[in-house]
Formats: sequence, C-alpha cells, structure tokens
Amino acid sequence: MGVGDGDGGAAPGALSCRNLRKTFGGTVRALDDVSIDIAAGEFFTLLGPSGCGKTTLLRAIAGFEAQDSGSIHLGGQPLDGLPPPQRPVNTVFQSYAVFPHMTVAENVAFALEMQRKPRGMIAARVEEMLALVRLQGLGGRKPSQLSGGQQQRVALARALAAAPKLLLLDEPLSALDLKLRNEMRLELKRLQGETGITFVFVTHDQHEALTMSDRIAVMREGKVLQVGTPTEIYERPSLRFVADFIGEANLIAATRVAPGRFRLAGGEELAATEDAGPEGPVTLVLRPERARLAAPDDTEGQALTGTVDQVVYDGADTTYHLALAGGAGLRLRAPSHGGRAQARVGDGVRVRVEPAALRAVPD
Amino acid sequence: MRGRAILLVPSGLLIGVVLVLPLVMLLVISLMQRNPNGGIVWGSFTADAYISFLWERGFSGERELNWDYVAIFLRSLGLAGSATVTSFVIALPTALWMAFQPPKRRLLLVFLVTLPFWTNLLVRNYAWMLLLRVDGLFEQILHATGLLTGRLGILYTPTATAIGLTYSFLPFMLLPIYLSIEKIDRRLLEAAFDLGADRWRVLTRVILPLSMPGIAGGVVLVFIPGIGAFISPELLGGGKTMMVGNLIQAQFGYSRNWPLGAALAFVLLALVLAATYLHRVRFRSAP
Repeated sequence: MGVGDGDGGAAPGALSCRNLRKTFGGTVRALDDVSIDIAAGEFFTLLGPSGCGKTTLLRAIAGFEAQDSGSIHLGGQPLDGLPPPQRPVNTVFQSYAVFPHMTVAENVAFALEMQRKPRGMIAARVEEMLALVRLQGLGGRKPSQLSGGQQQRVALARALAAAPKLLLLDEPLSALDLKLRNEMRLELKRLQGETGITFVFVTHDQHEALTMSDRIAVMREGKVLQVGTPTEIYERPSLRFVADFIGEANLIAATRVAPGRFRLAGGEELAATEDAGPEGPVTLVLRPERARLAAPDDTEGQALTGTVDQVVYDGADTTYHLALAGGAGLRLRAPSHGGRAQARVGDGVRVRVEPAALRAVPD
Repeated sequence: MRGRAILLVPSGLLIGVVLVLPLVMLLVISLMQRNPNGGIVWGSFTADAYISFLWERGFSGERELNWDYVAIFLRSLGLAGSATVTSFVIALPTALWMAFQPPKRRLLLVFLVTLPFWTNLLVRNYAWMLLLRVDGLFEQILHATGLLTGRLGILYTPTATAIGLTYSFLPFMLLPIYLSIEKIDRRLLEAAFDLGADRWRVLTRVILPLSMPGIAGGVVLVFIPGIGAFISPELLGGGKTMMVGNLIQAQFGYSRNWPLGAALAFVLLALVLAATYLHRVRFRSAP
C-alpha cells in the first residue's frame, strides 16, 4: 500500500504524510512523528480516543493547522504552506457546519461558485449531488427545515460538489442518533464507492472504524500505533492498547517461557500458533468469542478451568464471566442458542482455547 | 395568567405616566392656538400648527408654501444618515477585529467601548469643541506637521455636527454588530475557507449575511436617535445647522410656539415609526 515520497507519478488521490510533528503550548504533543501513506480511492480511518491527535492530523491535512515539521503530499504534490482554500481537499465537519442563511442548493453550490464555474454547470452539478445524497427536490429548503441526518447529507454533497481529490470526515456521524448513524454508515460507504474519492475518516468509535474502513490507523498520544485492515487490527493487534481499544478482549498477564509457550500466573501453560518475541512478561489477548465452553465429555485440546461468576444474556449472544483457577477473570461469549444457557452461575467449567485464538502482545 | 399579569403593573404604570400621558398632552398642545407669551390658549382647537409646518401666512394673510421646516427635516435625515454610514464603516472592521480576539480580551474591549458612557454626552461634545476649534488640538497638530497652514474651519459647520453625531452614536453601531459577529459559529468560517473561499468572500458570503440582524439593529440605534439629536448640532454646529431636535427645542424655548413644537415632535415621531416599520418588514425573520 506504500506510496513513494512525493514522487510525481503518485495517483492523484494518494496521500502521504511524512514525519509530522505538532506541539501545542510547547508541551502537548498532538502529533509525534506521524507517517502515514494512504492509497488513492481508499477508505482510511484514523481511530483513537479523544486527544490522540487524529483531529489535529485531519486539520493539518485540511490546512487549518500548520505542522511544526514534516510534510504532507497529495498525489505527489506538496500541500505544505498552502492555505485551506487552495487545497484540493474538502471537509465534512462534525457539527455539519452547513450555512444556515443559504438554501440547500446554495450550500451545495458554494465551492463551485468559489471556483467561478459557469452557472449552468453549477446548477447541473448541484442536481447531481443532491441525487447522489438522495435529497432530490429539497434544494430550495433552508437547513433549519431539515433533520440532522438530512443536514449531514447536505454537508456531504457540499464537500463532494467540487470533486476534491481527498475528502476529510471529522466524526461526521457522532451527532446522529443510533439508527441514522447505521444508515449513514452504509451511505458513506456507498458514496465512497460511487465517487472513487479517497476518504480519510476520523472517529473514536471502533465499531464504525471496523465496519467501514479499508484500513485503520490506531492512534494514541500523537503516535500511530498500528496501521492495518480491520481484520488485521482486530485479529492481530500489535499492542495491548490496540487490543483493548478495538472490540472486547481478555487481557491475560503471562510469561513467555519459549517461542509460542506461555505460563499464566496460576501456573497453567498455553501455546499460541503465531508468535515471535523475547522471553519475559507479555499480555495474552483472547477475544471473548474465540474461547468456548467445552462439552462435559470433551477432554481434548488446550483448555483452562474455572467457575462461572455471572451469565449475561444479550439476545443474540450470552456472555459468561468466569473466574479462572489461577484467580484471573475471563469473559467468554457464545451464541445464545434459543436462550438455553450452557452453564449456570457456580458451575465448574472447562474452557477450550485454540492456540490460533491467542496472541501475545508486549506489556 | 391573571396572577402573572400583576407583574406588569409597575412597568405599565411607568409607561402610562411617563410616556403615554405626556404624548397625549403633546398631542393636545399641538392642536391648540399658541399663547404669544408662552404656553397655549386652552380650548382653542386648531390645526394651525400642522399647517404652518408647510405653509406660512404672508403679510396679507394668504398662505404661502414654506420649505424651511422641511429643509431642516431633510438636513436631519441627511446628517443622521451620514453619521449612520460613517459609524458603520468604522464599526464593521472594529467589530470584526474584536470578535476574533481571545475571549478574555474581548470582554475588556467591550468594556472600553462602553467607557465613554461614563462621561456626560454634553461634556464629551464640549471636548470635541476644544479639539476642533480655532487653534484647537487638531489644528495645532496639523500645523506642527505641516499638513495645514491656514484654518481648519470645521467647528460650527455641518461637518462638525456629523463628526459629533458619529462619535456620540458609534458604540450603538459597534456593539450590536460585534455581538452578532461574535455569535457566528467559527466552524462555518472554516467550512467556507475549506470550500475555497478567500477572506473577502468569507466576509461577504458568510459573515455579513449572518451578522445582518446586528447591522440592522445598529442602523436603527444610530439613525433614529440621530434624527432627533440636539446636543451635537447645538454645540458643534454652533446652532447654525439646525436639526429637528434644535427646532423643537426652540419652539418650546425662545420662540414660544408650543403648538408648533408639539406638531414638529409628532411629525418626527411619525417618521421614526415609519422607519421602524420598514425595518420590521425587511428583517421580519431576524430574532
């Protein structure tokens, strides 16, 4: 997925950030040596808790913040020093930021008018954009007459109207209610497919990131911790923080005694298929759905033993909270199977843990 | 509901006693004959005062058109209008600058804008006389820098009146414009920049339309009191460039023509109400 360092032959929508640093107030490191390459046409997500620098990175790409050092190239052309109006980049803001004094059509036409495009071309393009975001016939309305979801569509149409090479989306779904958010997720994905524009999407919602992205960069304290596809990030986290932040995870303290062999605090030994690293303390990551309760007659395979502390029925799934023999807690999730619990509170159980389901990350 | 209406009694009484009652008295006075020694002749209803706004009696008793009062009204409108335009031109960039200062400094700046109110308007107009008079501070500075050799000659001219009006009413233009610009969501400005607008078009396409309620408020607050102002024309205009306010004052003062003064006040009131009505029609949607 790598893109060359600003070589002229890069695809028009490819973004390359090199060694970006930005400090606020002399002490807060918002960007700490961030390097990211985003391919043209990619749906790329910057994911992290608030204050991780994702919004600062977005604002640096848009031109609202100047990085202290490092460079940003779009399609091989440097963006550094260009003010926002001159960047072929548009933004969808968290709060929509649609112009309240203009009609929907005037909002969508804004960027094209700034480029002094002919009137007829603008009118046609506005119609096309309104159709794209499914707001046909609402061009004459004022934003105050629209729902939140519709205003968000106006913001999208407005940002896409000038056909930017790159669309930046700053937590665009966070102001919507759950149902609308799910709807807009699919909508965004469809828009990205239809326009072929590179999307850089900022969110703190790991679920959004997993379901929409081609690739995700997980950030914390101004640093990029891991870049990968949703599957890579979820299945093969490289750090304890990534494993904890993305989805649910059992984080089990252990010691690596040999490559692929780990000893837990209670003395049990576990094997992991995929492993590399020095001996010493590690954290084992086990997704709750990757462990399963063994049948009473099942004595095969790698397993841990414990007792059931709590059973939480959640509709499709049931979560079992276990206390392991060694004292540690473990969560385990299984399909509900029509509501018949596989174990009751107080039962002693055997938990099958496949070596392929375990992953060791540095402490 | 009836219980809550009691809350309105104090303000209702106040408005009745200090606004409605004097207005009714003024209306009655405007419809009486004048008493040449001052005051009016009670019980002598006549529309003479309103007629004499446009027509005066010649020597032989026939009525002739007289544009003097109309001219004074037009001059008042013109001076108030030019003070409105000038203060807008000064207030807009100032308000823009103020609105983009850090929040703490903004509070200080608003305080500084209201600072002149701590001194009496009369005193401040006298101060302008000292600045503009022959051999006053402005003339001395211009002479010292060689920019002027003769007399400045501004004091006791309509220009001095306009300067005084602009100075007196500038805060009333500045504050509403500042407040409406300060209220604009900064993300709208970022969105406009992001979509390719330069500074000028962010100003004309986003900031100005969104601060229209403040601009309209400022125009009303400067223009309407400006028409009736009488301190600045009296002191800085030297009483030579009479405005409606001075004219009315004169009728109740040395001219001893109370009915005419009252009638002029009502004509002014009608003008102001008409202007307010037009403003309401134009900005009906404004909060």
